[in-house]
Amino acid sequence: MPKYLIETHGLTRRFGKQLAVDDVSLVVPEAGVYGFLGPNGAGKTTAIRMLLGLCRPNAGEVHLFGLPLAANRLSLLRRVGALVESPSLYPHLTGRENLEVTRRVLGAQRELIDTALRSTKLTQDANRRVREYSLGMRQRLGLALALLTKPELLILDEPTNGLDPAGIHEMRDMIRSLPAEFGVTVFLSSHLLSEVEQIASHIGIIHEGRLLFQGTLSELQADQQVQLTLGVNEADQAMDTLTAAGWSVQRRADGLLSVSAKTSDEAVRINKLLVEQGIEVFHLSLVRASLEDIFLTLTGERRAA
Amino acid sequence: MSLLLVLHAELLKLKRTLAFRVIFVAPLLVAVLQFFVLLKTRQFSTDFKLWETVSRATLSIWAIFMMPLLITLETALINGIEHSDKHWKHIFALPVRRHMVYIAKIIVVQALIATSTLILCLLSILVGLVSMRLRPELANAGPVPFGWISKQALLVWLAAWLIIVIHTWISIRWSSFTVALGAGIGGTFFALFAASASLGKYYPWLLPLNVFTDERLVAALVLGAVGGVVAAVAGCVELARRDVA
Repeated sequence: MPKYLIETHGLTRRFGKQLAVDDVSLVVPEAGVYGFLGPNGAGKTTAIRMLLGLCRPNAGEVHLFGLPLAANRLSLLRRVGALVESPSLYPHLTGRENLEVTRRVLGAQRELIDTALRSTKLTQDANRRVREYSLGMRQRLGLALALLTKPELLILDEPTNGLDPAGIHEMRDMIRSLPAEFGVTVFLSSHLLSEVEQIASHIGIIHEGRLLFQGTLSELQADQQVQLTLGVNEADQAMDTLTAAGWSVQRRADGLLSVSAKTSDEAVRINKLLVEQGIEVFHLSLVRASLEDIFLTLTGERRAA
Repeated sequence: MSLLLVLHAELLKLKRTLAFRVIFVAPLLVAVLQFFVLLKTRQFSTDFKLWETVSRATLSIWAIFMMPLLITLETALINGIEHSDKHWKHIFALPVRRHMVYIAKIIVVQALIATSTLILCLLSILVGLVSMRLRPELANAGPVPFGWISKQALLVWLAAWLIIVIHTWISIRWSSFTVALGAGIGGTFFALFAASASLGKYYPWLLPLNVFTDERLVAALVLGAVGGVVAAVAGCVELARRDVA
């Protein structure tokens, strides 16, 4: 079994002069949910289209299940289910007939339709025409289409787009349950940080076509600086001491000091140093940057660069 | 094998569509027109040949006017279904060769046009039989020339392959219904002028009509049927290389 289900090397795609995806090297491990996070227009959909062979990269290559996609497109896509942007459905056909169209193309077993309908809670509405479906039902039917042949890898592009809060909640629960229920690895793109935070075990952050971070959520947070808030009786002396020791210190409007540290262990060293200098410490707290802060910092830095 | 699977899926997509219903409506319109022409003719000449007139006139109207428009409509409707909900990205993300989908689309339109042409033949025979009852002077028109009608209908259909392929390509290439319809109306309209020109022998929208002229028959069949196959191969290559939006 390959180490990664998706592996891209220097994936690049331009449209005219615009660089939509720039040297992106993804590694998506087996099992769990990989959240591909980025603001609208970051290059997520273009990258996904290249993962599915819908468009060709100008440079770089895609490997799925350890094999190059370009040379093994059909055999690899047999192991992949996908929902790209909005679900592609035939409104004049029923939900079951929509699944039947894809089943016929794939030459799959008829029983798989019932399983897919059950998994997406559409059994009751299977014989209604899709034009009568709500947006949430359409999205679930799109998921059923992607799940039809029990794929090993599921690629979902913004699956909660356009849904109301209840629909988002329902879809999110469904996606979260997929790895355990079907043993499928989910690659999910989203511009919603909260969504990825709740579902994903691994994330990749893309902005303006470039991959800014890739790893687990804890790795992302561990990678970030910790903010220490200090309350001391001698603020000026404390600032001098800490600055001389190499820390970056700022005085806040409320009189407390804010110190940037790389790890939480540094809090112990800071406290010890101040006490040794005869400075009384009456407040010490650690603030870890939220995922939102990290995301905004990363994308903001990129923009500034 | 996979072509059969894709064809099987294409048939299901036709369910409850206008694309399926219109194959009955188009020949009916031509047959009704022909029926009223016969009914309203005040006096037939003594050498009037009912079957030759009915079948030739009906198939000619079909070949120059109604069938090209029907092909335009069918290809636009069948491929319009795929454009409407961005189905191409779903279809081409499936483990299926792109050219299989293109060939299946062409075969479906060919089958629909063949069915519609067959219905037209049956209706034209019915028009002839009913006219013999209603107009006693036509009663001795003789037996129905099944062989001639079948052969001409087959030739008209074969000569139409090229325009079927052209319209399938246009309606896949552009999502706009207006582009597909414009190309069909334009092609059919210019055929009316090209009919008398020597180059009309090679004009795609005129090929189905050209099968009725002996000196243009071979060119019509070679360009229509063989040219259709060549154009379909070119279309397959183009589709396989194209990015899917």
